Amino acid sequence: MRRLSLESAAGPIGAIVIIVVLMSVAMIVAGTNPIDGFSALILGSLGGRSQIGETLVTTSALLFPSLGIALAFRAGLFNIGAEGQLLIGALLAGAFGGAVVMPPFLAIVIMLVLGAIGGGIWGAIAGWMKAKLRANEIISTLMLNFVAQYVTLWLVTQWLMGPAAIGAETAWLPDTYWLPTLIPHTRLSIGILIAIAIAVLLRFLFARTVFGYELRVAGEAPEAARRNGINLPRLTWLSLTLSGAIAGVGGATIVAGELHRFNTQLSPGYGYVAIAVALVGDLDPLKVCVASFFFGILEAGGLAMQASAQVPKDTIHVIEGIIILVLAARRYVAQRSERVEGGSL
Amino acid sequence: MNGCGFVESGFVGLVVSLVLLTLVKSAPIVYAALGGVISERSGVINIGLEGLMAAGAFAAAVTSYVLHAGWIGLLAGIMAGAAVGYVFALAVTRFKVDQVVAGMGINLICSGGAAYGLVLLFNQPGASKTVPQLASANVRCLNMNLGELVLVVLAFLLAIALHIVLYRTPWGLRVRATGENPLAVKSAGLNPLRFRLLAVIASGALAGLGGAFLAIGELNLYSDGMTAGRGFIALAAVIFGRWTPLGATGAAVVFGLFEALQYWIAGQIAWLPADALAALPYIAALVALAGVTGRVRAPAADGVPF
Repeated sequence: MRRLSLESAAGPIGAIVIIVVLMSVAMIVAGTNPIDGFSALILGSLGGRSQIGETLVTTSALLFPSLGIALAFRAGLFNIGAEGQLLIGALLAGAFGGAVVMPPFLAIVIMLVLGAIGGGIWGAIAGWMKAKLRANEIISTLMLNFVAQYVTLWLVTQWLMGPAAIGAETAWLPDTYWLPTLIPHTRLSIGILIAIAIAVLLRFLFARTVFGYELRVAGEAPEAARRNGINLPRLTWLSLTLSGAIAGVGGATIVAGELHRFNTQLSPGYGYVAIAVALVGDLDPLKVCVASFFFGILEAGGLAMQASAQVPKDTIHVIEGIIILVLAARRYVAQRSERVEGGSL
Repeated sequence: MNGCGFVESGFVGLVVSLVLLTLVKSAPIVYAALGGVISERSGVINIGLEGLMAAGAFAAAVTSYVLHAGWIGLLAGIMAGAAVGYVFALAVTRFKVDQVVAGMGINLICSGGAAYGLVLLFNQPGASKTVPQLASANVRCLNMNLGELVLVVLAFLLAIALHIVLYRTPWGLRVRATGENPLAVKSAGLNPLRFRLLAVIASGALAGLGGAFLAIGELNLYSDGMTAGRGFIALAAVIFGRWTPLGATGAAVVFGLFEALQYWIAGQIAWLPADALAALPYIAALVALAGVTGRVRAPAADGVPF
């Protein structure tokens, strides 16, 4: 038991050690004293109410796609398309909210549902291609990201441009359609609570339902799943659709909660960073919440670090990439030692 | 233009200009697709092609800027691709990191690293300063510069060379065998991991060359996101081309055609929205993927760690 708990702690702690060491190197190379750099990062992400608010805004934006990715990865499906799914969900929510007049509560609910539908459709395309045509989901989801990027840009500039918009943006949502603010005087909305609720729901789904069990079998031993009568094609499109829907709701919460309109530039790559988040969180919904907060600190603090300590914030992305490599390698090392100790294989 | 009758006159001129543009737009995808073929034939799915291209493009631009020599920049692009390819290869062979996960990691490291490098070296985010091209002299009648022409021709020569290497040499046979059945290769007293390592390094060098084409062949700078998914389109080209060098090259040219069409159509028919046309190459790749995958077979051990 003790060995087990040590091992499960080694992941996050190892990740933090790697991050601190690598960031120090990056700061020194950029000519900044690491102590100044880190204090800029921490102060910029946790140093006050508005900083914490911004960190949690990023946390929320990362959490939705990360949860979606965790679901798909559990089924052995590499959904790299959360970025596009999030964007399409956000577009539907923004286009609807900016154009329609109705009771506010209903409008908010419809915006979130439209987010799920948009992201779900984008995920379902890849799911259908995989289930019916056996098309590699990695490539299809990636291609769909680019299609989403250009299609949203086209739709917004051609038809949905808001009055007095500077960039490619839709019209403002009326302020009654905004998601309520969670921490006063910050941009943080109750969207993050929706994300946490989804995490809890997924945790239950994975651990306590037949669907969750089937996901795991399909991911870890597809042949066994097939022989046991699990309908793999159905599971495939269903999990990619759900995965996309979760990312899409996330897009809708960014629109209804923080930006209050759709902007084609609304995601600085949340869908890609979310892959790292899902992996660091071991595809476990609750750990993914923690990992999202951690990456929220890095992303939000990275901006402050760039502004006040002249360390380019892109450092963060290099480090995220290295963490992906190292964490996946660590899993192999852990597996190997298990095999040696177990001796049965 | 400059007295090239057939290029400027009427319909024929339009078609010729489209063909030439297609060749220029295809070349980087061809390089990356060849890299994808050699990697996947050895059993490694190289999702990192996109990042490897970015590494090649960035290294080429920086080196060309510092040394004022385009051809050294080209070499640097190839070397950078190979070096990052080596890291990726180590991760997926020695440390048995999941290939897709490692590839995504490589993509983040390369695009982030290049963005970091831009700020550090050029003191400006987003794009480098303009750098010397490989060879900027215009080639008469072809609408391209000398560097582009050389690299376009080289791309197709390399496709033929890779075909010969894979199908006519013992080394090629061993690489293909590693992709189909690494255990059999091991039984023959050879180390399959070594072939994967070499194949992935070669893959990185090719992708790096493709990136260098973008930075100092076609353009004269590195900018963030300039690879624009070409590494991923190349992966689709590998499948569409049935994992063969010549097939993948053909597929890359088809995708290059769609990229060229987007500019060509926008030039001819002004009312068509450019933003929607920009999605064309990606939609083409999706359709190709949907249409072909049920009927082709990947190398048996593609994506399976050994």
